[in-house]
Amino acid sequence: MLRAGQVGMPVTRFQSEAYPSEQRDRAWLDFLDGIGLQEIAPGRGTGPGTGPGAGAGKGASQAAGYRSGLAHGGAPGLMLARLSIPGGCLAPVARRGGAPLILLPLDETVEIRRGDDGLSLRSGELGLLPVDPGWHIRLLRDGRAICVTLPEAQLSGRRSPNTGLAAPRAFQREGMAAVFAAAVETAAAEIERLQHGDWATLAQQLSDLFFGLPAQAAPDGNRGPGAGLIGRVSQRIEAHLTDSELSAEAVSRMEGISERYLQRLFRETGETFTQYLRERRLQRARTMLSVPGETEVPVANIAYNCGFGDAANFSRLFKQRFGQPPGAYRASIGEARREDEGGVENRGWPMDALTRFQPRLAWSDGVRRTVSDEVSNTPGPPGQVHHLKVDASTVHWGYFSRALAPVLSVRPGDQVIIETLTQHATDAPELMIAGDPAAEEIFYWDGRRKGIDRRGAGPQDASVFGRGAGEGFGVHICTGPIHIEGAEPGDVVEVHIDELAPRPSRAPGHEGRIFGSHVSAWWGYQYSDLLTAPNPRETVSIFEILPDAGEAGQAELLYSYRWAEQTDPFGVTHATYDYPGIPVRPGAVAIDPAPERPLRVPLRPHFGVIGLAPREENLIDSIPPAYFGGNIDNWRLGRGASVYLPVSVSGALLSIGDPHAAQGDGELAGTAIECSMTGRITIRLHKRGAPIANVSYPLIETPEAWVLTGFSHPDYLSEFGKKGLSEVYAKSSLDLAMRDAFRKARRFLMVRGGLSEDHAIAQISAAVDFGVTQVVDGNLGIHAIIPKSLLPDIKE
Amino acid sequence: MRHYTLPVSPKTVHWGYFSKAVTPALTLKSGDRATIETLTHHANDDYERMIRDDPGAEAVFRWTREEKPVWRRGAGSVEPPFTYGPGEGLGVHLMTGPVAIEGAEPGDVLEVRVLDVRPRPSCSACYAGRCFGSNASANWGFHYHDLIEEPKPREVVTIYELDTSGEPVAKPVYNYVWTPQTDPDGVVHPTIDYPGVRVDHALVQHRENILPGVRVPARLHFGTMGLAPSEAEFVSTIPPNYTGGNIDDWRIGKGVRMYYPVAVEGAFFSVGDPHAAQGDSELNGTAIETSLTGDFEFILHKRDDLEGTILEGLDHPLLENDRQWSVYGFTFPNYLQTLGPEGQATVAEHASLDLAMRDAFRKLRRFLMTTRGFSEDEAVSLMSVAADFGITQVVDANWGVHGSIRKDLFT
Repeated sequence: MLRAGQVGMPVTRFQSEAYPSEQRDRAWLDFLDGIGLQEIAPGRGTGPGTGPGAGAGKGASQAAGYRSGLAHGGAPGLMLARLSIPGGCLAPVARRGGAPLILLPLDETVEIRRGDDGLSLRSGELGLLPVDPGWHIRLLRDGRAICVTLPEAQLSGRRSPNTGLAAPRAFQREGMAAVFAAAVETAAAEIERLQHGDWATLAQQLSDLFFGLPAQAAPDGNRGPGAGLIGRVSQRIEAHLTDSELSAEAVSRMEGISERYLQRLFRETGETFTQYLRERRLQRARTMLSVPGETEVPVANIAYNCGFGDAANFSRLFKQRFGQPPGAYRASIGEARREDEGGVENRGWPMDALTRFQPRLAWSDGVRRTVSDEVSNTPGPPGQVHHLKVDASTVHWGYFSRALAPVLSVRPGDQVIIETLTQHATDAPELMIAGDPAAEEIFYWDGRRKGIDRRGAGPQDASVFGRGAGEGFGVHICTGPIHIEGAEPGDVVEVHIDELAPRPSRAPGHEGRIFGSHVSAWWGYQYSDLLTAPNPRETVSIFEILPDAGEAGQAELLYSYRWAEQTDPFGVTHATYDYPGIPVRPGAVAIDPAPERPLRVPLRPHFGVIGLAPREENLIDSIPPAYFGGNIDNWRLGRGASVYLPVSVSGALLSIGDPHAAQGDGELAGTAIECSMTGRITIRLHKRGAPIANVSYPLIETPEAWVLTGFSHPDYLSEFGKKGLSEVYAKSSLDLAMRDAFRKARRFLMVRGGLSEDHAIAQISAAVDFGVTQVVDGNLGIHAIIPKSLLPDIKE
Repeated sequence: MRHYTLPVSPKTVHWGYFSKAVTPALTLKSGDRATIETLTHHANDDYERMIRDDPGAEAVFRWTREEKPVWRRGAGSVEPPFTYGPGEGLGVHLMTGPVAIEGAEPGDVLEVRVLDVRPRPSCSACYAGRCFGSNASANWGFHYHDLIEEPKPREVVTIYELDTSGEPVAKPVYNYVWTPQTDPDGVVHPTIDYPGVRVDHALVQHRENILPGVRVPARLHFGTMGLAPSEAEFVSTIPPNYTGGNIDDWRIGKGVRMYYPVAVEGAFFSVGDPHAAQGDSELNGTAIETSLTGDFEFILHKRDDLEGTILEGLDHPLLENDRQWSVYGFTFPNYLQTLGPEGQATVAEHASLDLAMRDAFRKLRRFLMTTRGFSEDEAVSLMSVAADFGITQVVDANWGVHGSIRKDLFT
């Protein structure tokens, strides 16, 4: 799989404060190197904590000043960077090609120097720096600058007096230089908002403008007649590329020179006019093929638009030049873009696989549909207590589905003692599985058989990535579903958690102890943003749960290990934690013992997943939470709390899993302390028309507050349609989740609290706390906490 | 140790900006204490309840055709003609200070302890002794372009009374929709676009007896507290930044210790923007804005003494109270560096919680690694299972996410 950064080159961001002070210098040099620059003398800066001697005692490295940068790409492709530098000297890294470093100082005068040679650039002026060794940029004090390198592919062959420079050039901000500078500034300002395909367009446009720069930057505007000629010819050619009849004769006529003179000009550069023209046409065509908005344009049209009279000839020339025919080139770019958008940080379906498989999944293989004994029992009197144990027949792993047969039928008002297992028990099977018959059965896996084969909503034959049945598109072991008598779409089911207790180990020698696992995983927020080597990496930490320690119990770190490639019993290797329930055998990883000072975390026992079957036909990935609940991952959903969930299908079909011993708001690294637990829950039904039945999303009630769950895409399955299971991972943001949480809070106060909009908004600002629920479940979550004291009149 | 008193007056306040160039209102030594009065810049939303007959407030808010003692409001232009007024309202908070700390230098850290916070009672004959505040659902609020009821858009001011007889609460009194207001210089303010414009209550319609029975739990705190940055002479108070400022965290109240990196000689501490209550996010643009008086203690930590303390490597504001430490992530940790001085006006265009979350994650990781000696893996794991990230504010241009870690993890 491609890593983010290999294709499409997203924007990289550097801020010195992000790093511990002793690592800033190295990180800064790495950042610069990534964009083809090097620091030959650090600046000192004038800011706080950055001045000379700041943080003295931490070594000289801390003396370097504040530095930040936002950058895209690097030579030989397009490089665009916005830098804040505390003075000092920078230089381009030596490389081949003639593309100069384009420099636009924003605040301070910048010098371009080599020995005693050089010139000064005032703020706003445009400078070109030769890539020849020795030339460098010098800033005397804090300042910001934009640096650009144009792609060699766009420049190669094109004739300009401003490529292959021997000495630096400066341009006043006037004429084409002003136009070019403004375009560069705008691009730099928008750097974070540009999409993958925009970069190809930008490279083309900036290159075209670059060729409009005058030949000489003489302050009086005096342009030598000879020096500019090749540049002007070059521009003529660019302007007439679509014309298949364009010839040396036509160009020389336009320029008022003889054709022989024109041909001689080109020969002096080692290339004929015809070769040059063809190269420019092929480059233009390649750019057009990579623009995402034009994937529907037939290749033949692109050929004509670039002045090729004959599509077959174009294909042949294109393949000769770039190694693959135009159609294949376009497909590979598209594939790379999809990988880029939904690449390594994406736990869901790849878009193309979704398109291929989804029609077949409506009634999918590998899904348990046997009705268990309990269901066929005639329900007893209301208020009955049921016991739903875990075994291979009462759980489903990694997906929700309305097609699942219920394992228990209850009446509203009934209680259920429900056992749940964490899918992370295999992180320490000798502690969390051994000796526990139900867990041993569910996690069973030898060379021939798995206790539960399907894990996730992916294809049963693992034909997308080959990880295993279900592909791990969804990871949570869910107990259920429970059929609730009389529940119909439009109703709301309330699940109240009366009790929640961890499941003691039955492993020999550990009986009665309780264990949990935390994984800092590849879907975590830190994964693409790690400081220390090896980078990236996944880490597993095993905790012992001490329910009686501290005020409300604590989890103590026992040991940890770095994830190492595991081979599952079917022989599939898992370089990352990409499939749930892979048994990690003792000896397969290097154990780091606990630190000498015990590390203890206060407990917050809760269920990560409580959900009803979604209304959609297909198997639904258990990871992104949405209107039906699911992987809510809010630690407030523990003992004494209720969650209200809208019913989508007859009988509601309630599933519970993903038990957590402790989690912070954010669930930053991808998981909580995952720990098998048993709950006692009361199930209530609120029929359509009851005030609470107005709820269209998971609503949590605690003794003190209402907790409203906002999501980046509250109903992603409707919003994106068939593409939802892929798109929700790619298009999620906290800004969207905040918008959703605000709207839900406003609606709650208006509908349930009877407030006007103005009153609701005033109350939200003064008394409602918004927090980050999770940044790791594809559909990012922000919750709003409304204290009950704010609405004394609401009673259930 | 000396204890100073800093009352509000036109000489002890500066309005809408932090500045390293303003003459200090008070100079003290590390270890000294000060009782500092602060005024809410929203007091003129209800002059009768919040200004009338209060000598300090009357003097600061005075504005007639002839006289305007606190003339500049904001870091914007002071050259006429004005669009909104001198300073152009680029920064709105009425700040008391600056308080200079003897011997403070760039690279040091200033600790500010808030020992007590008290509301400022009304002096007006009709309301004497009672305390009031104002909440404005303002044009810079998160909701403003996302309203459902007509007229759209609109700004709404709600006046609250603070009741401290029991567990302190704020009770809504009445509200009104903002209508164009004309200031004494003849400038018309169609929206809340310049601070300290007295609302003419003949031009607005009071809606009384609102929200019967509703009580907002009080959380007395200072929305804006911090040091003068080094990057510019006059810096808007609106976007919070590396030296603090308009952080708008309701936890910055009694019992808190705030730590700020010193950027200029003397540190130049200022405090203002007092709030009676606010939720995490300050959604509609303001809290319940209420004049408050605080008791403060100042402790200067010299840069050579930071190693091995929780302040080692600190280059952003840090909160400590009995329960927790909090770091403040912003869209841009130092927007003045990233965007240049014009960032004061343009940072709002870049506002993003996603960037603020990224910054909060990195700051908390650095804090745990540097000050607790954790490896990166330990820090990241701990953040996932025990650190809470919350939305500080989505209305101050440089949006904020705070990351908090409880102290009981380390006992």
